[in-house]
Order: sequence, then C-alpha cells, then structure tokens
Amino acid sequence: MAFDQASDVPDEALLVLYANGDSAAARELASRHLPRVMGFAARMLGGDRAEAEDVAQEAMLRLWRIAPEWRQGEAKVSTWLYRVVTNLCTDRLRGQKRRRAVGLDDAPDVEDGARSVEASLVENDRINALHAALETLPDRQRQAVVLRHIEGLTNPEIAEVMEIGIEAVESLTARGKRSLTAAMAGRRAELGYEEGS
Amino acid sequence: MTNSDLDDLFAAVRQQPVAVSDDLMARVLQDAQAEQPVAVGLARPKRRQGFWTGLFAALGGAGGLAGLSTAAIAGVWFGFAQPTALTTVTDSIWQTEVAVETVDILPGFDDYLSEG
Repeated sequence: MAFDQASDVPDEALLVLYANGDSAAARELASRHLPRVMGFAARMLGGDRAEAEDVAQEAMLRLWRIAPEWRQGEAKVSTWLYRVVTNLCTDRLRGQKRRRAVGLDDAPDVEDGARSVEASLVENDRINALHAALETLPDRQRQAVVLRHIEGLTNPEIAEVMEIGIEAVESLTARGKRSLTAAMAGRRAELGYEEGS
Repeated sequence: MTNSDLDDLFAAVRQQPVAVSDDLMARVLQDAQAEQPVAVGLARPKRRQGFWTGLFAALGGAGGLAGLSTAAIAGVWFGFAQPTALTTVTDSIWQTEVAVETVDILPGFDDYLSEG
C-alpha cells in the first residue's frame, strides 16, 4: 500500500490490510489513533504520562490482536479504542490508593502552537486548572465530560463506550460540567478571566 | 467562569493534542509487528510421495501391514515347527517309500505300437 494513499483508507480496511501482513497499515492506524488514545488516557489518569503511555500501548496491542477477528460494520475503531482505554484506566484508578494532585509538571505535555508567549502561558495555566478541576470529578463523570467535550464524541458514542444509556450520559456530562464550573469559579481572577464573565 | 468560558477552554484543549513520544510510537509499532499474522501466501507445494510411503498406503496402511506381518510370521513358524498333524497329512499324500520308476502315460496304446 502506498503511504500517500493510506489517509483515504477507512480504519476497518486498514485493519484488514494489517491482518493480511501490510505493515504500512499498522503505521497509519497508529498515527491516526495513538495521539487520541494517549491524550484520553493522560486526561483520565490525571496527567500521569508514564502510566498513560502504558495504557495507550496496551490499548493498541489489543487492537493488533483483535484485527484478524474484527467484525466489519459493528463498531468504529476509535469508539472501540475509547472503550478499551476507559476500562484500562478504570482498573488503574481503582488500584490507586490515592490520587495525586495535578501540578504543572504532571499535566499532559501539549504541543506548542505559534502563539505569543504571554497568551500561551495564560492558556496553559487555564488548561492546567481545567485538568486539576477534572481530577476532582468522580471517575464516571470525568470520563463522560472528557469524551464529550474534549474528545468530541456524540452522546450515543459515549453511551457505547461507557456501556450505559444515553440519558445517563447526558446526566453525567451535565453534572460534571456544573462541578467543573464550580471548581474553577474560585480561580477566575488568577486565571485571567474578567469580572462578570 | 461561565459555561462559555468552559467551552472555550475545552476547545483550547482539543486543539492541543497530547504529544506522542517517539519511544511510545516505536513500542507500539514493535507490538504491531510482533502480533501481525503471517500473510496467507501460496499454499505449500505438496511433497512428492516416496516409494515406501506409496507402498505403505498400497498395503492398506498400519492395519494392512500388521495383518501381513502376522501372516508372514505364522508362515515362518509353520515352516520351522512342522506340526505333527501337518506331517500326517503330507505323508498320506506324498508317500516317500513308493518309488516311481516309470510312468506309463498312455498304456492303452501299447497294442498299436507292437510290431507284427
């Protein structure tokens, strides 16, 4: 498979190609999904990068293993990966005795854009504050909020990932968002939000 | 902090994907290579059947060969042991004491062959 054509190939077709021995298909699948998987795992695990990398690697490993038996048309590869990451993170979070607070160093590394230094610093502060606030949410609420508002999944997709009903998803995201607003309200001035906004 | 601020913040996070280290990508691709099924290529050419394999099959496989071996061993045993019952039978058919000197194949023709 020519690599310049790979971007047009659907995920499911890439899985078939991979299962038939095409190594370029694995590279394309990894470049498409690994950043998303890594980002989601990092946000779920409170910015623990090493642990998020382990989860991301494990999730991709499960994808490689299931590739030959992948049932076409049943689930999107991205949705399936989100579900695997959700389950892996839930297991790890359950195993943790106490959750670490998110500091600047623990927040997921973000790629630098071409913004001014000051704007970037303000935005990074806000993003770190958001991560810290996300950490205060119960696990299920955090999963639902991240999937909905950061990963951009639809409610039916989140319902599939979390294996719950759509109404439960709506309830979790609404409660999560309210809790986030409340958690960040006390830091408005610190984060550069104007009075009354 | 309003809902709108929060939405803007979510959008900012969305636009800044988490960087994937080269090491992680390498590990993932290594896994992919290790787990990749072997490509289904051409079927392995059928091995040419050898003489002994053919003979074995012609004799009916293991069962046929066992029967044949048993029969052969029984034959050899009969040859060596010469059971009494068999000797009696063979003696009655082939009496060694009787000496056959001449065999008159067509005795009725003697009259025609005599001169005179």
